Amino acid sequence: MRYVLAFDTATEHVAIGLAALEAPDRMPRMMAEKDFAAPRAALGALLPAVRDVVREAGIPAGRIAIVAVGRGPGSFTGVRIGVASAKGLAHGLGAPLVGLGTLDAVAWRFSAHEGLLAVVGDAMRGEVYPALFRCSGGRCTRLEEDCVEKPVVTAERWARTVTEPVLLAGNGLTKYQGILAGALGARATIADESLWTPSGASLIAAAWTEAGPGSLHSVAGLDPVSAFEEAHPAILLPVYTRLSDAEEAEQQRGAVSIPPSGVSGPGAGGVS
Amino acid sequence: MTGSVRDMTLLDLDSVMSIERASFLSPWSEGQFRDELARLGEGRCWMVVEEDGRVIGFGGIAVFGDEAHVMDLAVESAYRGMGIGRRLLLSLMRSAVEGGASRMTLEARPANMAARALYASVGFVEAGTRPGYYTDTGEDALIMWTPGLSVEAVEAMVTADRGDDLVLAIETSCDETAAAVMRGGRELLSSVVASQVDFHARFGGVVPEIASRKHTEAIVAAVDEALAEAGVGFKDLTALAVTHGPGLIGALVVGVAYAKGLSLATGLPLVGVNHLEGHIFANKLADPALEPPLIALVVSGGHTALVHVPEWGVYHTLGETLDDAAGEAFDKVAKLLGLGYPGGPAISRLALEGDPNAIAFPRAMLRSGNYNFSLSGLKTAVITYVEAEKRAGREIAIPDLAASFQAAVIDVQVAKAVRAAEEYGVEAFCLAGGVAANAALREGLRVAMTERGIRFSVPTYDLCTDNAAMIAAAGHFRLQRGAFLGLDAEAVANLALG
Repeated sequence: MRYVLAFDTATEHVAIGLAALEAPDRMPRMMAEKDFAAPRAALGALLPAVRDVVREAGIPAGRIAIVAVGRGPGSFTGVRIGVASAKGLAHGLGAPLVGLGTLDAVAWRFSAHEGLLAVVGDAMRGEVYPALFRCSGGRCTRLEEDCVEKPVVTAERWARTVTEPVLLAGNGLTKYQGILAGALGARATIADESLWTPSGASLIAAAWTEAGPGSLHSVAGLDPVSAFEEAHPAILLPVYTRLSDAEEAEQQRGAVSIPPSGVSGPGAGGVS
Repeated sequence: MTGSVRDMTLLDLDSVMSIERASFLSPWSEGQFRDELARLGEGRCWMVVEEDGRVIGFGGIAVFGDEAHVMDLAVESAYRGMGIGRRLLLSLMRSAVEGGASRMTLEARPANMAARALYASVGFVEAGTRPGYYTDTGEDALIMWTPGLSVEAVEAMVTADRGDDLVLAIETSCDETAAAVMRGGRELLSSVVASQVDFHARFGGVVPEIASRKHTEAIVAAVDEALAEAGVGFKDLTALAVTHGPGLIGALVVGVAYAKGLSLATGLPLVGVNHLEGHIFANKLADPALEPPLIALVVSGGHTALVHVPEWGVYHTLGETLDDAAGEAFDKVAKLLGLGYPGGPAISRLALEGDPNAIAFPRAMLRSGNYNFSLSGLKTAVITYVEAEKRAGREIAIPDLAASFQAAVIDVQVAKAVRAAEEYGVEAFCLAGGVAANAALREGLRVAMTERGIRFSVPTYDLCTDNAAMIAAAGHFRLQRGAFLGLDAEAVANLALG
C-alpha cells in the first residue's frame, strides 16, 4: 500500500493527514489525522506531530509514497515552514511533492454543504485572501483564483455578484466578519468557527482535487521514479499572491526598467 | 587509542573497587557492584576499559523505559585526560539506545569540573540541581541530560570520533543558499553556494522576504548539487548540520524546517550550528593546525565581534559593534557614493588607487578602553564630508575617500584585535566573516600579528562569505559534542555564541 502524507501550516493552525492510496483513480482513504492551533509555533510543532501521526498509524516513514503540502496563501513564514519541511521530507524519502490550496482545504471541510461557500483567509496588513467555492454532491469546486485584497473590495464584489445564500468560513472572519456579512446581508451565514481552518481529511481531499502536472492526480498512477521526476521536491513553490514589500514599493514607484527578480509572486511556481 | 571496552564481569571487581576507592569520597561497596552485576540484562549495563590485560576504567548505566541513568563512571588517575571516559560513555550510550532509551541523565558534583567537561563533551547539558544530594559533603548535585538520542545519533558520534563522518551541511541564515558535504570535518567534497546577491542588489541591501523566498526556491537544488558533486547520496551520510542562528529569522526558518524534514525522512541525526562558530571554523579549513586559545575577529554584513576562544566550543564575546556591522558600513558608504551593492568589494577595489591619509576620518572608540566598536559615526562623517565637498563645488576624489574610509575602519579593528590578543596572551588569531575578504584588513592584521609572534589565520577568499563548508566543519565538531537538534527545534535569530 502507498500512503499520502499531507500537512498545512499556512494559518496559525497545523493540520496533518495520512491516507492510503488504494487505487490511482480513487480518493485516498484516511488513516489518521490531527490538527491543532499553533500560533507562531508551527516550526517547532509540525514535525513532532507528523512523526506521531505516522507512528500512530503504524506505518514506517519509508512507506510514505507521496507528500502533499498546503501552498497557501497564508502567513508567508507559516507557508514556508510547511513547504520547506515538506521539501525536506519528500527529498529525503525520494517521494514526489504535490501541492494543494490552503483555501481549498478550508472549503473541503464543507463537502457535505450544498450551495455557495466563501472562504476568507487572513492576509494581515488589513487584507484578506478571498475565494468562492461551489459545494455540491460531496465536492467543492473553486470559482475564483487566489488573490489578496482589502476586505471592503471583496465585500463589494460579492454583494454585487452573489445572488444566492452563501456560507462564510476562514480565519479572515475573525477580523472582517462584520464587513463581509454586512455587505451580503441576509444571504450570508457564518460557519462554525471550529471549521475555519483545514483538517487532515480536508487536506487530502483538497490535494485530490488539484489537477495538472505535478498534482496528486498526475503522480498517483505513476511508478515511483516517474512520480519523483514529475513532482520533484525542488519544483513546488508557495502561493504568496503578493510581492515582497520592497518589490511592491518598487512597482509603485513605476520602476519598470528593473529586471524581474525571479521571486515567485502571484501565479508563479507550479500549479495551483 | 588506549584500551578496549568490554562488558564487566565479577572477575573485574577487585580492579573496579580499587579505582572506585581511589576516585570517590564515598565509594560504592563491593556488594553494590555485585547487586548491579546480578541485574545485567534487566536494564543494567556495566563496562570496563582494559589496557594490557588490566582494567583502567569502568562505568555503568540503568535503563528505565526510555531514560538511561549513568550510575557510576571512573578512570584510573594515571589514564585520565586520554579520552577513555569519553569512549566508555559512548559505549554506554550505544548500549542505552539499543536498550530503548532516548535520553540519558546523571548527577555530577558541581566542583568536579573534569567530570562536567567530560559529560558536556558528549552532549549532556546542565538542567538543574538536586539540593543536598551528596550526603557526605552536603553538596547539591547538578542534574545533566542529553538531548534526544537514537542509535543513529550515537553511531554518528562514534564515526565522527574516528574522523570518518560524512556531514551534509545547510546554510540559509542570510542571502546565500548553501549546501556542502564534508568528511571528518576537514575533507571538503563539495560546497555549493546559490547566491541571491543579484536579487537584493537593486534594493541596496538584503531584503529579508526576498531572501526567504529565494531559499525556498533554491534549497533542494543546492542540496542535490552538493550531493552530486560529492558523489554521494543521503544513504552514505552520517549526519546533517544546519545553521539555526543567528541571522534573519525568516531565512533561518527555511533551512531549519528543510533540515528537520530531511532528518525525519532519512533517520539521519541533525546537529545545530551557530553561524558565527561556522565562520570561525572556516579558519580550521584553511589552517588545520590552528588551535585555541585564540582571539577571533568576526566581521561581516551582520556582525562585528571580537571573541576569545580558550578552547573549541567555548566563546567569550569581548566586544561587539554598538550600531552598524563593518560590512554594513561598507555597504552604506558604497550606496552613498553610488558604487552599488555589495559595497565591500567596490570600496576595497577603489581604495587601492587612493590615499588612505587623504581625509582624516574619525577612529571611533579607538581609546574607549573596551572591545566594542561603533561605525555609524564614521558613516556620518563620510556623509558630512561628501555634502561639504558638494556644497563647496569640489569634485570628490572617490578613490581617496574609499581608501580613507577603509583605513579608518581597519585601524580600529586592528588596534582592538592586537590589544585583545595581548591581554589574553593568545598565540593565535583568526579573522572570519565576509569582511575577512577585504585584502587591506587581512594584510593589516597579518602584519600586526606576525610582528608580535602571533599565528595569523584567515580563510580562503571563497570561505569568507557565507557558505556551508564552514557549517560542515563546525557541524563535525558539534556532532562530536552530541549537539543534536530534535524535530521540535526552532530557528533562533539572536542565537548567542558559546
